[in-house]
Amino acid sequence: MFEKILIANRGEIVVRIIATCREMGIKTVAVFSEADRAALHVREADQAVCLGPSEPAESYLNIDKIMAAAKQTGAQAIHPGYGFLAENPLFAERCHEEKIVFIGPPAQVIRDLGDKTVARRTMMNSGVPVIQGMMQAKADPDELMKEAKSIGYPVLIKAAAGGGGKGMRIVHSAGDLREAAESASREARSAFGNGAIYLEKYLRQPRHVEFQVLADAHGNVIHLLERECSIQRRHQKIIEETPSTALTPKLREKMGKAAVAAARASGYVNAGTVEFLVDHDSKFYFLEVNTRLQVEHPITEMITGIDLVRQQIEIAAGNPLKFSQADIVGRGHAIECRIYAEDPLSDFLPSSGKIEFVREPRGPGIRNDSGVYSGYTVPMEYDPILSKLITHAESRQECIGRMSRALKDYVVLGVLTPIPFLIDILSSEAFIKGETYTDFIDTHFADWRPAMEGIDMACLAYIVDEIANHRTKGNFTPANGEAYSPWQTLGNFRP
Amino acid sequence: MDYNLKIGGQTLPVEADLRDDGTFLAKIGERSFATRYQIISENQLHLEVEGIGRNIYLSRITDGKLINIGGTTYLVQDADVLARDGTRKRSNMELPQEITPPMPSVVVRIMIAEGDLVEKGQSVMVVSAMKMETTLQAPFKGKVLKINVAEGDKVMPGQILAVIEREEESEGKPQEGITREKENI
Repeated sequence: MFEKILIANRGEIVVRIIATCREMGIKTVAVFSEADRAALHVREADQAVCLGPSEPAESYLNIDKIMAAAKQTGAQAIHPGYGFLAENPLFAERCHEEKIVFIGPPAQVIRDLGDKTVARRTMMNSGVPVIQGMMQAKADPDELMKEAKSIGYPVLIKAAAGGGGKGMRIVHSAGDLREAAESASREARSAFGNGAIYLEKYLRQPRHVEFQVLADAHGNVIHLLERECSIQRRHQKIIEETPSTALTPKLREKMGKAAVAAARASGYVNAGTVEFLVDHDSKFYFLEVNTRLQVEHPITEMITGIDLVRQQIEIAAGNPLKFSQADIVGRGHAIECRIYAEDPLSDFLPSSGKIEFVREPRGPGIRNDSGVYSGYTVPMEYDPILSKLITHAESRQECIGRMSRALKDYVVLGVLTPIPFLIDILSSEAFIKGETYTDFIDTHFADWRPAMEGIDMACLAYIVDEIANHRTKGNFTPANGEAYSPWQTLGNFRP
Repeated sequence: MDYNLKIGGQTLPVEADLRDDGTFLAKIGERSFATRYQIISENQLHLEVEGIGRNIYLSRITDGKLINIGGTTYLVQDADVLARDGTRKRSNMELPQEITPPMPSVVVRIMIAEGDLVEKGQSVMVVSAMKMETTLQAPFKGKVLKINVAEGDKVMPGQILAVIEREEESEGKPQEGITREKENI
């Protein structure tokens, strides 16, 4: 087993990976940019290496600097986390050349599956159902027009190198195609360095259901059941759950088999996720394979009891899987809510700034994978995820109740979060009924406003704080013309 | 003591009289509340209103207090202090419409030139941040007086990217600003 692992990422996922490494007795190396000097992941690791300026190209995306950090610290393996270099075949290749183990699939698998059109062809050839659409990326707008016509509107423009909704556009009529294609291609180029796009039939009201797979280097491939991730904003997931309310045991078995077939067809090794769309007729279609640890992996860990990061490390070390498909049992229900620093009232735009105070929820069946602390300033340079709140309970209904409770107990002051929005989604009739489709938020929550039920209580709290502070400090009156600030009255206040 | 508290877009007159025994009487508008309070820590209070207890978390920021009750955070400000301050600071909780761009980003496309006449809502620039493209639109009909940035420039929230002179009320000084609207992605 490895003695030391470098984690080429930032934030909550690094903290989460470090936890497993510690449990396995493996030392950890964190890397960070100058903007992340005070980040939690830097403090949690045994060693930390500064990569350089905040721009990802100068730090978290800089392969040379990361390799140098690994050499300098004597790390034998690199865990890429998710995002950044996690699905970059050049990085996996470079690790291989430098004799450092990349904790993820082989470079060629990442390359093949990273091109969504190649992946579509591979899946089609091995009998995995794919959505009607193009099998090759094209740039010529006239050809795209022709393809769109034969597929039939609405069509979905997707980036061949895509993921995370970047470079994705829904096009309802031929008149909008050219501009949408141009804009999607530009966005894809800036996000992935590759502007290639292709078209797929746009499915109305699908569900997003993905299967976790594990494949070792000895030919064993199993799946660890599904995750439903239909609740999305800007094509990015915000609530995930398992099991999916849309799957019957029969459909689950069929999709699980397809996921394993997909992993086998691509020569997969390590942990991966096969994404499907499920339509109203319970037909499912291959979407893509994510060749990394998913953000939402904890819900699978909760119901299966399997630590996916540990499995990744074991597989990367060449060890065979210790269990077979028959050993995999899902117990109860798990939900994850992503807590971003963002404003649900302004199109979920990032809200960077200082977290004045954070209090994490606790209790049975509650897990919070967090990368922040009280006093931490959320940098504006990166994805503003603060943490992932996960709950686990015997049934879906209990799990929803547990998540609502945990969200209400989750205090984040100083940056905006979608917590009140998430609370309202969880208590909505549509969510409770399991009517979760990818248009859920647009359909049910487009005009959402917070209830503001606590206004009276907040006023009372304001006054208690104000007056109590005055008392401890004596009768403070601001000097003439001086602006009054609560900081001035804070003094040596101790309750 | 009497306060005028600004919260959630409204200003409420609040009267309160804290007693040393941990109780207090408060009036919000015409409504009275009998309340018990306990200060737990610098960031936590316990309030009991009409017999129902709640843990309340708060932090003090320069122009008010952030108060969290049951998962929702309220910005509560003293309206009299704000008025005394004169320059009302913009807070995160109520971003004015004309803030531009919404976040640190890079200008990817400029669709206007100085001297152009633009319609309200016309797309004028595309900025990209966190790999998401955002189209900025003209907040009103008018003439483009000045463009302060070029394609490829890094821009920050609050920075004025272009100055547009409002057509209808041209007697006033030129208004600056651009509103944003998310592109359909």
